[in-house]
Amino acid sequence: MDGNAPEFNAIQISCLSEMANIGVGHAATAIAQMTNKPFQMSVPTVRSVELEAIPLMVGAVEELTVGIYMPVDGDVPGHMAFLFPWRSAQAFWRLLLGQAPESPEQIGELEASVMLEVGNIMNSSFLNAISEMCGLPIQATPPLLAVEMAAAILQAIVLEATTTDSHALSIETKVSCEEEQAEGYFLFIPTLGGLKRLFSSLGLPEVA
Amino acid sequence: MVATQLLVGMAEIQVAKEGPLFVCLGLGSCIGLAAYDPVAKVAGMVHVMLPAAFADKPVDKPGKFADTGVPHLLEQMARLGASRSRILVAMAGGAQVFNFGTGSAGKLDIGRRNADAVEAQVQALGLRCLGKDVGGNQGRTMTFDSGSGLVKVRTVTSMERALCSLKGS
Repeated sequence: MDGNAPEFNAIQISCLSEMANIGVGHAATAIAQMTNKPFQMSVPTVRSVELEAIPLMVGAVEELTVGIYMPVDGDVPGHMAFLFPWRSAQAFWRLLLGQAPESPEQIGELEASVMLEVGNIMNSSFLNAISEMCGLPIQATPPLLAVEMAAAILQAIVLEATTTDSHALSIETKVSCEEEQAEGYFLFIPTLGGLKRLFSSLGLPEVA
Repeated sequence: MVATQLLVGMAEIQVAKEGPLFVCLGLGSCIGLAAYDPVAKVAGMVHVMLPAAFADKPVDKPGKFADTGVPHLLEQMARLGASRSRILVAMAGGAQVFNFGTGSAGKLDIGRRNADAVEAQVQALGLRCLGKDVGGNQGRTMTFDSGSGLVKVRTVTSMERALCSLKGS
């Protein structure tokens, strides 16, 4: 664990878990409406982590993965991403387009924009839910898409996070649709300043 | 014989007497730099994240930045008996991974800046670079077998291929 990582107390962590839980619930509803399939979300894990450790947190670090990344603006800025293994991405494409590319080289403009839209809807639903709960303006910025090794995608995001503000908290959850064997991994890394504003808007004690 | 594997995570520096297999997994815009002194048989690798240390913040991990990471790698290797004048290096990474979406071009071009910054360090320190695989859109896993000297690179779509050997010839 990073020596200078700020410690959050149990109340703050559990409050954040609860907010994230509601946020991912909204995101699951949005994706279910988009695809007409039932989606489940696991209870989000909120972890105080060293940023550099994030790329190796996902199981199959070298597996071909589709990642949608959105920088987050507003009072709780940060970095948000939605990642799915290639096989799951193909399931999403089949659900939404009727067919899926067989390899990354076959991803055209249509396939790319569908994926960007999936990420957009998931992330925006999550952010809107959080924004409403704490009464702070939070906006997602246009999404970026990568089709790459999971670790390479997460590294690129961590790198962006490093250039903004030091913070050490990640919210992860799994989104899955059993029927279609599609699952994704959702990650939100708020900035330290953003977290402080979030906690104070909820009347929670300052970070010690 | 199976070599010990040394995973070099983001912002990390690893050095050892020859033997272990150094690995940088899934380099996106980061750079992996492998270094070897064939006489002292001292090897090392650094996983650089950013071109230069922030002016307004203390450096928490020297391996994070090109301008601190490369000199620190050499320093740690020197402690094991390596001499800068003999050190051979190879580098990989510096890709732009997010290549779809509005504004992706140019916005996240940190990969190219990382590659330039590491290369500038290599030149400034007078190191001989025997292999380079940087830029493009593909993430890379870089391995350096300090037993055989072989540096290899693989991507999600291509088989592992040899980049160069740091054993000299």
